[in-house]
Amino acid sequence: MADISREYMEQIAQMWNARGKGLITHMALEIEKVSSEGVRVRMPFNPDFCVDKDQTLLHGGILTALLDSVFGLANFVTIKGVSSMATLDLRVDYLRAARSRADVIVSAHCFRKTRHIAFNAGNIWFDGHEDAEIARGTASFALTRGDTSLLEAMTKGKAS
Amino acid sequence: MNLQTVNANVARVPFFRFLNFEVQSMDDFHAEAEMTFEAHHIGNPIMEHYHGGIIASFMEATAAIAVQPDFTEVPAKPINLTVDYLRPGVKGPLYARANVTRKGKRIASVSVITWQTGREKQVAEGLYHFLLV
Repeated sequence: MADISREYMEQIAQMWNARGKGLITHMALEIEKVSSEGVRVRMPFNPDFCVDKDQTLLHGGILTALLDSVFGLANFVTIKGVSSMATLDLRVDYLRAARSRADVIVSAHCFRKTRHIAFNAGNIWFDGHEDAEIARGTASFALTRGDTSLLEAMTKGKAS
Repeated sequence: MNLQTVNANVARVPFFRFLNFEVQSMDDFHAEAEMTFEAHHIGNPIMEHYHGGIIASFMEATAAIAVQPDFTEVPAKPINLTVDYLRPGVKGPLYARANVTRKGKRIASVSVITWQTGREKQVAEGLYHFLLV
Protein backbone atom coordinates (compact mmCIF):
# COMPACT_ATOMS: atom_id res chain seq x y z
CA MET A 1 0.00 0.00 0.00
CA ALA A 2 3.09 2.20 -0.18
CA ASP A 3 1.93 3.38 -3.61
CA ILE A 4 -0.85 5.43 -2.06
CA SER A 5 0.26 8.82 -0.82
CA ARG A 6 -0.88 10.59 2.28
CA GLU A 7 -2.00 13.45 0.03
CA TYR A 8 -4.21 11.11 -2.01
CA MET A 9 -5.84 9.73 1.14
CA GLU A 10 -6.58 13.22 2.41
CA GLN A 11 -8.03 14.16 -0.96
CA ILE A 12 -10.35 11.15 -0.88
CA ALA A 13 -11.36 11.96 2.69
CA GLN A 14 -12.22 15.53 1.69
CA MET A 15 -14.28 14.37 -1.27
CA TRP A 16 -16.14 11.92 0.93
CA ASN A 17 -17.03 14.78 3.23
CA ALA A 18 -18.13 16.94 0.32
CA ARG A 19 -21.09 14.80 -0.76
CA GLY A 20 -23.98 17.20 -0.36
CA LYS A 21 -26.85 14.86 0.47
CA GLY A 22 -27.85 11.45 1.69
CA LEU A 23 -27.45 9.43 4.85
CA ILE A 24 -23.71 10.04 5.28
CA THR A 25 -24.30 13.80 5.28
CA HIS A 26 -27.18 13.37 7.72
CA MET A 27 -24.97 11.34 10.06
CA ALA A 28 -22.57 14.36 10.11
CA LEU A 29 -19.54 12.06 10.06
CA GLU A 30 -16.13 13.48 10.88
CA ILE A 31 -13.05 11.66 9.63
CA GLU A 32 -10.53 11.48 12.45
CA LYS A 33 -7.78 9.34 11.00
CA VAL A 34 -6.98 8.06 7.55
CA SER A 35 -4.07 5.75 6.80
CA SER A 36 -3.26 2.61 4.91
CA GLU A 37 -3.89 0.78 8.21
CA GLY A 38 -7.49 1.88 8.19
CA VAL A 39 -9.79 4.77 8.98
CA ARG A 40 -11.41 6.18 12.10
CA VAL A 41 -14.63 8.18 11.92
CA ARG A 42 -16.73 9.99 14.54
CA MET A 43 -20.53 10.18 14.44
CA PRO A 44 -22.00 12.82 16.74
CA PHE A 45 -24.99 11.76 18.84
CA ASN A 46 -28.27 12.22 16.96
CA PRO A 47 -31.67 11.67 18.66
CA ASP A 48 -33.19 10.67 15.27
CA PHE A 49 -31.25 7.41 15.48
CA CYS A 50 -32.70 6.28 18.82
CA VAL A 51 -35.47 3.79 19.53
CA ASP A 52 -36.61 4.90 22.98
CA LYS A 53 -38.72 7.79 24.15
CA ASP A 54 -35.86 9.28 26.17
CA GLN A 55 -33.64 9.05 23.10
CA THR A 56 -30.58 7.46 24.69
CA LEU A 57 -30.61 4.03 22.99
CA LEU A 58 -29.34 3.83 19.40
CA HIS A 59 -31.04 1.50 16.92
CA GLY A 60 -28.77 -1.30 15.72
CA GLY A 61 -29.51 -0.38 12.13
CA ILE A 62 -27.67 2.92 12.36
CA LEU A 63 -24.56 1.07 13.58
CA THR A 64 -24.86 -1.25 10.58
CA ALA A 65 -25.22 1.77 8.29
CA LEU A 66 -22.18 3.35 9.91
CA LEU A 67 -20.04 0.25 9.34
CA ASP A 68 -21.19 -0.01 5.72
CA SER A 69 -20.30 3.66 5.10
CA VAL A 70 -16.91 3.56 6.77
CA PHE A 71 -15.96 0.30 5.00
CA GLY A 72 -16.61 2.17 1.76
CA LEU A 73 -14.30 4.96 2.84
CA ALA A 74 -11.60 2.49 3.92
CA ASN A 75 -11.73 0.90 0.46
CA PHE A 76 -11.56 4.21 -1.39
CA VAL A 77 -8.47 5.30 0.53
CA THR A 78 -6.59 2.00 0.39
CA ILE A 79 -7.40 0.74 -3.12
CA LYS A 80 -6.40 2.85 -6.07
CA GLY A 81 -8.34 2.93 -9.33
CA VAL A 82 -11.78 2.01 -7.99
CA SER A 83 -14.56 3.88 -9.76
CA SER A 84 -17.41 2.43 -7.74
CA MET A 85 -18.22 -0.38 -5.37
CA ALA A 86 -21.24 -2.26 -4.09
CA THR A 87 -21.68 -4.05 -0.78
CA LEU A 88 -22.02 -7.77 -1.44
CA ASP A 89 -22.78 -8.85 2.09
CA LEU A 90 -22.55 -7.62 5.61
CA ARG A 91 -22.49 -9.28 9.01
CA VAL A 92 -22.88 -7.33 12.24
CA ASP A 93 -22.79 -8.49 15.87
CA TYR A 94 -24.42 -6.18 18.39
CA LEU A 95 -22.19 -6.73 21.42
CA ARG A 96 -24.07 -4.67 24.00
CA ALA A 97 -26.97 -2.23 24.16
CA ALA A 98 -25.90 1.07 22.53
CA ARG A 99 -27.17 3.25 25.37
CA SER A 100 -25.35 6.58 25.60
CA ARG A 101 -25.50 10.13 24.31
CA ALA A 102 -21.76 10.11 23.65
CA ASP A 103 -20.34 10.36 20.12
CA VAL A 104 -19.86 7.07 18.34
CA ILE A 105 -16.42 6.09 17.05
CA VAL A 106 -15.94 3.61 14.21
CA SER A 107 -12.69 2.04 13.18
CA ALA A 108 -12.54 0.08 9.92
CA HIS A 109 -10.00 -1.40 7.59
CA CYS A 110 -9.68 -3.46 4.44
CA PHE A 111 -7.88 -6.70 5.35
CA ARG A 112 -7.72 -8.15 1.86
CA LYS A 113 -8.18 -6.66 -1.59
CA THR A 114 -8.25 -8.42 -4.95
CA ARG A 115 -9.03 -7.11 -8.43
CA HIS A 116 -12.76 -7.61 -7.94
CA ILE A 117 -13.40 -7.97 -4.23
CA ALA A 118 -12.47 -6.17 -0.99
CA PHE A 119 -12.88 -7.67 2.48
CA ASN A 120 -13.45 -5.39 5.46
CA ALA A 121 -13.72 -5.48 9.21
CA GLY A 122 -14.56 -2.82 11.76
CA ASN A 123 -15.69 -2.04 15.27
CA ILE A 124 -17.72 0.59 17.07
CA TRP A 125 -17.57 2.06 20.56
CA PHE A 126 -18.74 5.16 22.40
CA ASP A 127 -16.13 7.91 22.67
CA GLY A 128 -14.04 7.28 25.77
CA HIS A 129 -15.13 3.62 26.09
CA GLU A 130 -12.87 1.83 23.66
CA ASP A 131 -12.77 -1.16 26.02
CA ALA A 132 -16.54 -1.65 25.69
CA GLU A 133 -17.24 -2.26 21.99
CA ILE A 134 -20.90 -1.96 21.06
CA ALA A 135 -20.73 -3.60 17.64
CA ARG A 136 -18.39 -5.42 15.32
CA GLY A 137 -18.87 -6.15 11.65
CA THR A 138 -17.38 -7.64 8.53
CA ALA A 139 -18.34 -7.13 4.90
CA SER A 140 -17.30 -7.85 1.36
CA PHE A 141 -17.53 -5.42 -1.54
CA ALA A 142 -17.59 -5.88 -5.32
CA LEU A 143 -15.21 -3.35 -6.89
CA THR A 144 -15.61 -1.72 -10.28
CA ARG A 145 -12.26 -0.63 -11.63
CA GLY A 146 -11.88 2.66 -13.50
CA ASP A 147 -10.04 5.94 -13.48
CA THR A 148 -12.81 8.30 -12.43
CA SER A 149 -13.93 7.52 -8.94
CA LEU A 150 -17.47 8.07 -7.77
CA LEU A 151 -16.13 10.55 -5.24
CA GLU A 152 -14.33 12.57 -7.92
CA ALA A 153 -17.42 12.58 -10.13
CA MET A 154 -19.42 13.88 -7.19
CA THR A 155 -17.06 16.75 -6.47
CA LYS A 156 -17.01 17.69 -10.14
CA GLY A 157 -20.78 17.60 -10.25
CA LYS A 158 -20.82 19.89 -7.26
CA ALA A 159 -18.40 22.39 -8.78
CA SER A 160 -20.28 22.76 -12.08
CA MET B 1 -52.87 -7.32 17.18
CA ASN B 2 -54.41 -4.96 14.63
CA LEU B 3 -52.41 -2.92 12.11
CA GLN B 4 -53.50 0.40 13.52
CA THR B 5 -52.06 -0.44 16.95
CA VAL B 6 -48.83 -1.76 15.41
CA ASN B 7 -48.38 1.38 13.32
CA ALA B 8 -49.08 3.53 16.38
CA ASN B 9 -46.24 1.60 18.10
CA VAL B 10 -44.00 2.21 15.08
CA ALA B 11 -44.73 5.94 15.13
CA ARG B 12 -43.48 6.19 18.72
CA VAL B 13 -39.94 5.12 17.75
CA PRO B 14 -37.80 8.07 16.59
CA PHE B 15 -35.60 5.96 14.31
CA PHE B 16 -38.66 4.28 12.74
CA ARG B 17 -39.99 7.75 11.90
CA PHE B 18 -36.61 8.51 10.33
CA LEU B 19 -36.97 5.37 8.18
CA ASN B 20 -40.60 6.34 7.41
CA PHE B 21 -42.32 3.01 6.89
CA GLU B 22 -45.75 1.53 7.50
CA VAL B 23 -46.67 -2.04 8.41
CA GLN B 24 -49.14 -3.23 5.79
CA SER B 25 -50.00 -6.74 6.83
CA MET B 26 -49.12 -9.22 9.54
CA ASP B 27 -50.00 -12.49 11.20
CA ASP B 28 -48.40 -14.65 13.92
CA PHE B 29 -45.16 -15.27 12.06
CA HIS B 30 -44.99 -12.56 9.37
CA ALA B 31 -44.89 -8.83 8.89
CA GLU B 32 -44.85 -6.83 5.68
CA ALA B 33 -43.98 -3.15 5.47
CA GLU B 34 -43.50 -0.38 2.92
CA MET B 35 -40.83 2.31 3.26
CA THR B 36 -41.12 5.68 1.53
CA PHE B 37 -37.99 6.98 -0.19
CA GLU B 38 -36.38 10.02 1.49
CA ALA B 39 -33.35 12.16 0.58
CA HIS B 40 -31.67 11.11 3.85
CA HIS B 41 -31.91 7.43 2.75
CA ILE B 42 -29.52 8.00 -0.16
CA GLY B 43 -26.19 6.18 -0.18
CA ASN B 44 -25.04 6.87 -3.73
CA PRO B 45 -25.79 10.56 -4.39
CA ILE B 46 -25.29 10.36 -8.16
CA MET B 47 -27.51 7.37 -8.85
CA GLU B 48 -29.76 8.21 -5.86
CA HIS B 49 -29.75 4.62 -4.63
CA TYR B 50 -30.71 3.64 -1.09
CA HIS B 51 -27.83 3.38 1.39
CA GLY B 52 -27.18 -0.30 2.17
CA GLY B 53 -27.39 0.52 5.87
CA ILE B 54 -30.88 1.99 5.45
CA ILE B 55 -32.02 -1.20 3.68
CA ALA B 56 -30.53 -3.30 6.52
CA SER B 57 -32.17 -1.01 9.12
CA PHE B 58 -35.59 -1.31 7.46
CA MET B 59 -35.19 -5.09 7.36
CA GLU B 60 -34.20 -5.13 11.03
CA ALA B 61 -37.21 -2.99 11.94
CA THR B 62 -39.62 -5.25 10.01
CA ALA B 63 -38.04 -8.36 11.57
CA ALA B 64 -38.36 -6.90 15.09
CA ILE B 65 -42.04 -6.17 14.51
CA ALA B 66 -42.70 -9.68 13.21
CA VAL B 67 -41.13 -11.04 16.42
CA GLN B 68 -42.70 -8.60 18.88
CA PRO B 69 -45.45 -6.44 17.37
CA ASP B 70 -46.71 -5.49 20.82
CA PHE B 71 -43.43 -4.02 22.14
CA THR B 72 -44.01 -1.46 24.84
CA GLU B 73 -40.79 0.50 25.42
CA VAL B 74 -38.35 -0.47 22.66
CA PRO B 75 -38.47 -2.95 19.75
CA ALA B 76 -37.11 -6.52 20.11
CA LYS B 77 -33.42 -6.72 21.10
CA PRO B 78 -31.23 -7.58 18.09
CA ILE B 79 -28.25 -9.95 18.53
CA ASN B 80 -26.79 -10.00 15.04
CA LEU B 81 -27.54 -10.02 11.36
CA THR B 82 -26.27 -11.00 7.96
CA VAL B 83 -27.44 -9.31 4.77
CA ASP B 84 -26.88 -10.20 1.13
CA TYR B 85 -27.24 -7.28 -1.26
CA LEU B 86 -28.61 -8.54 -4.56
CA ARG B 87 -29.65 -5.45 -6.54
CA PRO B 88 -29.41 -1.69 -6.04
CA GLY B 89 -32.35 -0.13 -4.22
CA VAL B 90 -33.49 2.64 -6.55
CA LYS B 91 -35.45 5.82 -5.81
CA GLY B 92 -39.00 4.81 -4.86
CA PRO B 93 -40.82 2.67 -2.30
CA LEU B 94 -39.09 -0.39 -0.84
CA TYR B 95 -41.04 -3.39 0.50
CA ALA B 96 -39.96 -5.89 3.15
CA ARG B 97 -41.39 -9.20 4.33
CA ALA B 98 -40.13 -10.76 7.54
CA ASN B 99 -40.74 -14.42 8.29
CA VAL B 100 -40.14 -15.74 11.80
CA THR B 101 -38.36 -19.04 11.12
CA ARG B 102 -38.20 -20.01 14.77
CA LYS B 103 -39.30 -18.34 17.97
CA GLY B 104 -38.07 -20.09 21.09
CA LYS B 105 -38.18 -18.97 24.71
CA ARG B 106 -34.98 -16.93 24.47
CA ILE B 107 -34.02 -16.57 20.81
CA ALA B 108 -35.85 -15.84 17.58
CA SER B 109 -34.53 -16.32 14.03
CA VAL B 110 -36.10 -14.17 11.35
CA SER B 111 -35.50 -14.12 7.60
CA VAL B 112 -36.32 -10.98 5.65
CA ILE B 113 -36.54 -10.16 1.96
CA THR B 114 -36.92 -6.74 0.34
CA TRP B 115 -37.99 -5.85 -3.19
CA GLN B 116 -39.27 -2.97 -5.31
CA THR B 117 -40.77 -4.00 -8.66
CA GLY B 118 -41.63 -7.59 -7.80
CA ARG B 119 -41.01 -10.05 -4.99
CA GLU B 120 -38.99 -12.30 -7.29
CA LYS B 121 -36.53 -9.43 -7.92
CA GLN B 122 -35.11 -9.12 -4.42
CA VAL B 123 -33.05 -6.09 -3.49
CA ALA B 124 -31.62 -7.80 -0.41
CA GLU B 125 -32.20 -10.74 1.87
CA GLY B 126 -31.14 -11.13 5.45
CA LEU B 127 -31.16 -13.26 8.56
CA TYR B 128 -31.67 -11.61 11.95
CA HIS B 129 -31.46 -12.98 15.50
CA PHE B 130 -33.26 -11.46 18.46
CA LEU B 131 -32.95 -11.98 22.19
CA LEU B 132 -36.37 -12.29 23.79
CA VAL B 133 -35.33 -12.19 27.46
